[in-house]
Amino acid sequence: MVADNTPSADNAQETSTPEGSGRARKVRFRIKRCEGPGKPVYWQTFAVQTEPGANIISCLQKIAEHPVTVEGERTTPVTWDSGCLEEVCGACTMVINGRVRQSCSALIDRIAPNDGDEVVLEPMSKFPVIRDLWVDRQRMFEALKKIDAWVPIDGTYSLGAGPKESPETQATRYVLSTCMSCGCCLEACPQYLKEEDPAKWDSSFIGAAALSQARLFNLHETGKQGRKDRLDALMGPGGVSECGNAQNCVKVCPKHIPLTESIAAIGRAVTVHSIAKWFTGK
Amino acid sequence: MSAENRVIVVGGGLAGLAAAVRVAEAGLPVDLFSLVPVKRSHSVCAQGGINACNEVARQQGYSEYQHFDETIYGGDYLADQHPVLEMANWAPKVIDLLDRMGVPFNRTSEGNRDLRLFGGSLFKRTHFAGATTGQQLLYALDEQTRRYEAEGLVKKYEFWEFLWPVTEGEGEGRRCVGIVAQDMRTMQIRPFRADAVVMATGGCGLVFGKSTNSIICNGGAAARCYQAGAWYANPEMIQVHPTAIPGADKCRLMSESARGEGGRVWVPRKKGDRRKADQIPEDERWYFLEEKYPGYGNLVPRDIATREIFDICVNQHMGVDGENQVYLDLTHKDPDYLTRKLGGIMEIYEKFVGDDPRKVPMKIFPAVHYSMGGLWTTFTPGSYTPETPVGEHKPGMVPPVDAQPGHGLAIGAPNNSMTNIDGLYAFGEVNFAYHGATRLGANALLSCIFDGLFCGVSVVNFVKGDRVREAPAESLPSQVFDRFVEQEEAKVKKLLDSVQMRGEIAPEHNGYTIANELGVEMNAACTVVKTEGRLKKCIEKVRELRERYSKVVMSDSAAWSNQSLSFVRATGDMLVIAELIAKASLEREESRGSHYRLDFPERDDDRFLKTLVGEYDPASDEHKISFREIDTSLVKPRPRTYGRVDAKPQDKKEAVAQS
Amino acid sequence: MSEAKSSDKGSGQSFLARHHFLFRRLHSLTGIVPIGVFLIAHLTTNSSILWGKFAGHAPEGSSVLQGGAHYFQEEVHWIHNGIPHLLLIEITLWVSIAFHAGLGFIYAKTGRSNATRYAYQDNWRYTLQRWSGYIGIIFIFYHVATLRWGWTFLIPGGTKWDHNFASSTLAAALQGSYDGFTMGGLLVSALYFIGVTLLVFHFANGLWTAAISWGITVSEQAQKRWGAVCLVLGAGLMVAGWSSIVGFLLLDPAEAEEVERMLLKERGTESAVIVPDAPARIETAGSVEQP
Repeated sequence: MVADNTPSADNAQETSTPEGSGRARKVRFRIKRCEGPGKPVYWQTFAVQTEPGANIISCLQKIAEHPVTVEGERTTPVTWDSGCLEEVCGACTMVINGRVRQSCSALIDRIAPNDGDEVVLEPMSKFPVIRDLWVDRQRMFEALKKIDAWVPIDGTYSLGAGPKESPETQATRYVLSTCMSCGCCLEACPQYLKEEDPAKWDSSFIGAAALSQARLFNLHETGKQGRKDRLDALMGPGGVSECGNAQNCVKVCPKHIPLTESIAAIGRAVTVHSIAKWFTGK
Repeated sequence: MSAENRVIVVGGGLAGLAAAVRVAEAGLPVDLFSLVPVKRSHSVCAQGGINACNEVARQQGYSEYQHFDETIYGGDYLADQHPVLEMANWAPKVIDLLDRMGVPFNRTSEGNRDLRLFGGSLFKRTHFAGATTGQQLLYALDEQTRRYEAEGLVKKYEFWEFLWPVTEGEGEGRRCVGIVAQDMRTMQIRPFRADAVVMATGGCGLVFGKSTNSIICNGGAAARCYQAGAWYANPEMIQVHPTAIPGADKCRLMSESARGEGGRVWVPRKKGDRRKADQIPEDERWYFLEEKYPGYGNLVPRDIATREIFDICVNQHMGVDGENQVYLDLTHKDPDYLTRKLGGIMEIYEKFVGDDPRKVPMKIFPAVHYSMGGLWTTFTPGSYTPETPVGEHKPGMVPPVDAQPGHGLAIGAPNNSMTNIDGLYAFGEVNFAYHGATRLGANALLSCIFDGLFCGVSVVNFVKGDRVREAPAESLPSQVFDRFVEQEEAKVKKLLDSVQMRGEIAPEHNGYTIANELGVEMNAACTVVKTEGRLKKCIEKVRELRERYSKVVMSDSAAWSNQSLSFVRATGDMLVIAELIAKASLEREESRGSHYRLDFPERDDDRFLKTLVGEYDPASDEHKISFREIDTSLVKPRPRTYGRVDAKPQDKKEAVAQS
Repeated sequence: MSEAKSSDKGSGQSFLARHHFLFRRLHSLTGIVPIGVFLIAHLTTNSSILWGKFAGHAPEGSSVLQGGAHYFQEEVHWIHNGIPHLLLIEITLWVSIAFHAGLGFIYAKTGRSNATRYAYQDNWRYTLQRWSGYIGIIFIFYHVATLRWGWTFLIPGGTKWDHNFASSTLAAALQGSYDGFTMGGLLVSALYFIGVTLLVFHFANGLWTAAISWGITVSEQAQKRWGAVCLVLGAGLMVAGWSSIVGFLLLDPAEAEEVERMLLKERGTESAVIVPDAPARIETAGSVEQP
């Protein structure tokens, strides 16, 4: 973003970059662009002078400051979504060199180590593009509503502690609970397809993220109360049976959430639930 | 309360969501505005934990009162004492609630909530979920909010930008009756009516360029309220976190919990020692914090640790490899233990630096982290009124007041956490009240949630009150709102009219360049060490930037999802807040907490044990700075040394070893 | 939108959607029972052409293949005459295959393979599972139509399978004629090789995924372990399938026919079965020597 100044008593905060990263050099960014829904898709290439420690975000920031293509054509700044820049908010997910991931943790020295290397940026393909690299992932949040992804507490007033929990259960739940709704698992899933019509979201495959969240809440002592509703929701169209076991989800998950275990766990739960329901009617 | 009453919450972090849930729970519909899907709010970045007195600590002599005392002492007496007392009293209940919501707090083998040590305390009183506590708390509140959303009581406006508070009336009687907001996708600008508006918009780290904050923490919303007449208090109090990893786009936080779990800060004793860390023997390592502060050691409050690290690197040139960096060493701890307790930050370090901090000491340097200052708010004191302020509270002493709620604040008083504009509230980081001149680690999550829950009731009561009943926002003529919509549309028009699609935009008038220069300048002048000369230079520079900004040229005229518009518009607001921060820093001629003036190195209670309040005058575009008395009727100010070895003996606070 | 809402969980939904879960699980189940079980039995029986001599009661001095043909013919005979309710079993099997294949097509349509972009082994198997289904069902149709229904025009040599002459007619069908390989025979053999391979893969992989879908293997380790089991099973079936093809390709139809004829005679004296003179083959001038 800015050149580092020499530190002095006055210059409190100019910081050095971590050592070991590469030299300053030029990297080309080929970016898939689109000005909005229904607008044509086009590609533009930018050359960016990168500094040591640069990531996709810092390069996109430079493009925003000087939106000029390699052909010397002035254009508009590239639009993209970002937030925390430390891979916990999930906002800056995009397809980088053909693979979905967060752009903040995509360090230039690793993905484009040589001078003149090209980095290809595309928006996620499973969600409607808002503009350029910015997509609308509302469907993910709607999915969380479908599975009642919350603990049904009696309100927020002081009513004592929650249930005790073993460190093992905590460890299991914690990992599941680090899901940041980034959508990597859905982008890589062959069974999760783009659906622009919100009316069809309910019956289209819900995807690994929400399935794993259902497991998270079923594991909680109080969350269990909503277990049957969650399982009923996941037995219908768009539910767990739509999983094709390609297992890409677990491989692209930046938080290493055991998504395939979650899917299997939900599979087991619905198996038992459906049999119980058939015999008991509950 | 009529059926049409509504409440607006701006910001979907911990404070905003807690408020939304509490208000919705009372049956009032909430419109929740956020720049991002609320699950991606900046609270997600909080790592270390959340403080609360607990049974284990209590049986070692700790208490809610001590938590309160620590917070006041840590904040160098600049915090409002009543709200802090109430917050400390509620803290254990807040933890219980979060526990009920399903937050996966780390557990002991028996299944109790595990605790860790944190800065500014000698007791383990920090509850945590790995090293992503903020994320876990945010998700729990996000889930509860979604529950109300599914029920129809909360309506989310995500990717909407708050532009301006809508107010009616003048002076004392001025009341907030809604907001103007813009859909960042369709670019539609429209007013929203509400009987109360809660600002829960966080801090302003982006004013300092690279900080530990998210890209959305530009302070724009608070700056807009400030320009609309809300007071802004203690803007000069900016926390610089001692341990972050510098990056090209931001500085990434390495949680204080790293030190809480045993991390040690050191540099080689020999200047210019180029050996690798593991080749430097123990006696040739300088654990400068432990040496200087034998009681608190690496867990002195952040401002102190930051100044010490800064001194080592910048003044003594003792930084590792001659650079501005010191070691934060965890390599003596069991790797599995580290993964279990600190997995989140271990991973961040590995991903962004490439080294495994379980094997190689981390290299860190301070970075801007938190704004203690923010919108000024008021409150109604509770029942606790000691005849004289209580002196130092030491562990094991009987607290002067028990932990019953209502001692610090009057529960449900409509003005709790309300700004000087009626019906306009400030919760969380954007509220100045809780942390004084330095925030203790793991107190931020608490203050955010406490504000949302406790003062959420105040919002409900305000809406139920006479003023709203007589003139609900719904009943007001549309002109009240249209005026502000026109104002915002005019701003947008001016920016869009500046768009130039040919040739190079001169750097002087490039919004992005202006923002970058602002960050560099503010970082250099208004963070760890401040001097009159440098601050004056900074004010001049910000003036220059504001001048340049008035002729800013945009590079995107799109009427759809125009991100540049949003950024450049916020840059204008950042400049206003930056100017206020610099001016306030200049006005406060003392050193207190995070605010360190080289030319006034001592705390000056006689002149400055006061809240600095900025008031914006739109006519002159000037900041009117005044000082307001702080009510110190609960705790008597004492020197804040944290048992530093070279402190004057009478000033030294005994560091009491824990059993 | 409102239309979709109203049909959310009501009768407006398709029959398939209303019984979504049941159909999904039945689809999975039928793949294992009866289809998978049948596949195991079928391939085991067929492969006896190579190992039957060592298990059966082939006359002294028989070659491996003669012994195999002997054993195989006895097996086929037992299947046709020894298994009760054969028709019912067959109907169940046909219905299951039709059901499994039909739903399989519908389900496969819900996904879009991306194995080239995310080229993981698991992802390739996902893709292959679908393709093996498509090709496998075509193969099964071909297999049944020619050997069972006698659609001889689909076989280059026009040879028709006869359960009384199980080995010889099968060998001839694979080889293209009773006198050795023809080009068409090679084509048929290749088709069998591909078809059997894909179907075995489809079954073994399906068995692996079914364990996840049903929630039998939950942990990653369990999935790995079950994967190993499926791999071994799949490899075994693959060996059985391939050895059947190899066995029947190596088998001399004439030699086999002698064995079969002998068996027929034996049986003819014991039972009332009418011994046909010749296998029900289409005569192709001069190509077949009448005994």
